[in-house]
Amino acid sequence: MSPPVIGFAGMTHLGLVSASAVAGRGFEVVCFDADRALIDRLARQDWPVLEPGLDELIRGNGPRQRFTGARADIKRCDVVYVGPDVPTDDQGASDVSGLTNLICDVAGAIKPDAVMVVLSQVPPGYTRALGVLPLERLYYQVETLVFGQAVERAMKPERTIVGCADPAAPLDARFRAVLDAFGCPILPMRYESAELAKISINCCLVASITVGNTLAELCERIGADWSEIAPALKLDRRIGPHAYLAPGLGIAGGNLERDLATVQRLSQVHGTEAGLIAAWLHHSRYRRDWPLRQLHARVLSEITDPLIGILGVTYKENTRSIMNSPAVALIKELTGCRLIVFDPAVRASAQWHPRMTLAEDALAVCAGADALVIMTPWPQFRAIEPADISSRLRGRVVVDPFSVLDRAAAAAGGLEHVVLGAPLVHAE
Amino acid sequence: MTLSHAHSNPQKPARVVVLGSGGFLGRHLLQACAAAGIEATGLGSRDVNLADASAPARLVRQLRPKDVLVFLAALTPEKGRDSGTLMRNLAMARAVGEATHSAEIAQLVYASSEAVYSFATALISEETPAVPLDLYGAMHRTRELILAGEAKAPLAILRLTAVYGAGDTHNSYGPNRFLHQALKDARIPLFGNGEETRDHLHVDDAVDLILKVVTHGSTGLLNLATGKSETFRAVADMIAARAGRPVEVAPSARQNPATHRHFDTTNLLRAFPGKRFKPLGDGWAAMLADAKADARG
Repeated sequence: MSPPVIGFAGMTHLGLVSASAVAGRGFEVVCFDADRALIDRLARQDWPVLEPGLDELIRGNGPRQRFTGARADIKRCDVVYVGPDVPTDDQGASDVSGLTNLICDVAGAIKPDAVMVVLSQVPPGYTRALGVLPLERLYYQVETLVFGQAVERAMKPERTIVGCADPAAPLDARFRAVLDAFGCPILPMRYESAELAKISINCCLVASITVGNTLAELCERIGADWSEIAPALKLDRRIGPHAYLAPGLGIAGGNLERDLATVQRLSQVHGTEAGLIAAWLHHSRYRRDWPLRQLHARVLSEITDPLIGILGVTYKENTRSIMNSPAVALIKELTGCRLIVFDPAVRASAQWHPRMTLAEDALAVCAGADALVIMTPWPQFRAIEPADISSRLRGRVVVDPFSVLDRAAAAAGGLEHVVLGAPLVHAE
Repeated sequence: MTLSHAHSNPQKPARVVVLGSGGFLGRHLLQACAAAGIEATGLGSRDVNLADASAPARLVRQLRPKDVLVFLAALTPEKGRDSGTLMRNLAMARAVGEATHSAEIAQLVYASSEAVYSFATALISEETPAVPLDLYGAMHRTRELILAGEAKAPLAILRLTAVYGAGDTHNSYGPNRFLHQALKDARIPLFGNGEETRDHLHVDDAVDLILKVVTHGSTGLLNLATGKSETFRAVADMIAARAGRPVEVAPSARQNPATHRHFDTTNLLRAFPGKRFKPLGDGWAAMLADAKADARG
């Protein structure tokens, strides 16, 4: 068998990273998107997403990875992935209409023996109901995208979960060749199982996040330190070294929220008990407002018309995504304050706050501010010396949920350093 | 549902009409209106008996267009915990709702209670399901529903935690009873060791928040609490320490499991950024001074 040619339709975050990973494993990959402006941008090597390692990966792929706006170009492909990002609304509900349109479009353009792989995340039942191709030529593959780590995870997946019409039947040999190239276990299962498997993974992650956040808050009140406890949990085989136990500001980014919304909707339709999901969502909203409560207790109730410095706007580091970002929520809530904001990847929108100025660098945010809030743990913020903050800040309060600053150095610098999951370290 | 403001900057209302002005909170609210230069008038049960069938028409005659109506009147548990009291309280809400059909008031503010919540949730927010445990809680919750369904006016529902302060006439287990026991008997008996936690809101903060709701033309739901709960033991100790005489804080064998109540006040901070609450110690000191003055007077 000659090496298969692989197609990808939909060149947003998921499609671009996944296509680049397949090309990175040595396959010829045709990257199609009907958005000509996007294709032109990709051809100029101007990547629409921020992902560590993406630029190097695509440049290394060279001519194996080609971008095209011509639908006819996917006629050459043996396996065609369809993987546009699926938008969600504020409630986490997916809008799959764009995906469905693209699938129908692609189904009419591929060669008669090509197989299609739906890569975008879809609700259970979606793939089987498509009806665009014979089921033996249609697969669903669970995506493993993690913003900020997408390239690493796409190149080295822990396993590949494949939804198919008949899990007992062998996978199409050309599709199998692609999956084998990643050297990880392959788990064929029914479409519905695969679709729910992705949601199940995310539910487990949210469970860990919620456990961590629940207990971290308790730590803040009783003198315990979650950063001492979490490593002990990770050494437990039943929990694991990669468990999501770092305290945070709830869930954000859109993907986890979407899956919780899907489970809630399905449980309502099918009459299953899912009160846990509502509890997770409630807790997430509560944790999102942790910086607001800290600021109110320490600054807003003490100072009239304070100037608050905010470092970080994106919902996490190494991404440009602001979907459900706690930083954006905080900015919008601080109506009684003046703000100065900096993020290395995103410029805050003037629509978020009427009295906000944008700083050109991190330390400029501190100048004359009554308090500093570090909302995103960007790596470059970790390099800031607390003494440099202290010398510029008018106030003493630094709300640093992710403990970006060294706690001892912050205390030594005279800062009131407020972190998640630990009692307050008083300024020296 | 949380609170939203019609006016981002506070605006004085045309007039505030307080239903239940003879009560602890009502008297303080009228004083606060006067201090703020807001025209206000109080109506007590002698002016309009809200439980009476003629109440809607009588109330309408007392109201002017653009008035803000603050509904504090209620028969408290001390006046009855039975279904008859419940029904009279509900009749009062029905009368207020009906009055708003013909009186074109600017806003209706209803003072509900934390009693609409059970003790099942450790940290209460506006999203916490209202599951009252007794008829008093059911009364407030039903009144909320009556007003939300039948009143023809922008509605703010404020669920107040336990309010304390000078002139408190309530004598249920809590700070006011402790204070009088300290002054009269030099002994504060506790249930168990007073382990239960509650959020105590000083009356000055309560009326300040009500006035903020009025001047912002706010609508929706908000819990009025400080966000900091204390045990009854801590409250008793604070009062004993300030009584000016030796006071015994007396634990007893616990008959029932201790219950706890804390409030997540994020929505309050969101609605009124910068709100500062009177520290508990200051509140008790002022209350004690007032009680001593009353005792001397």
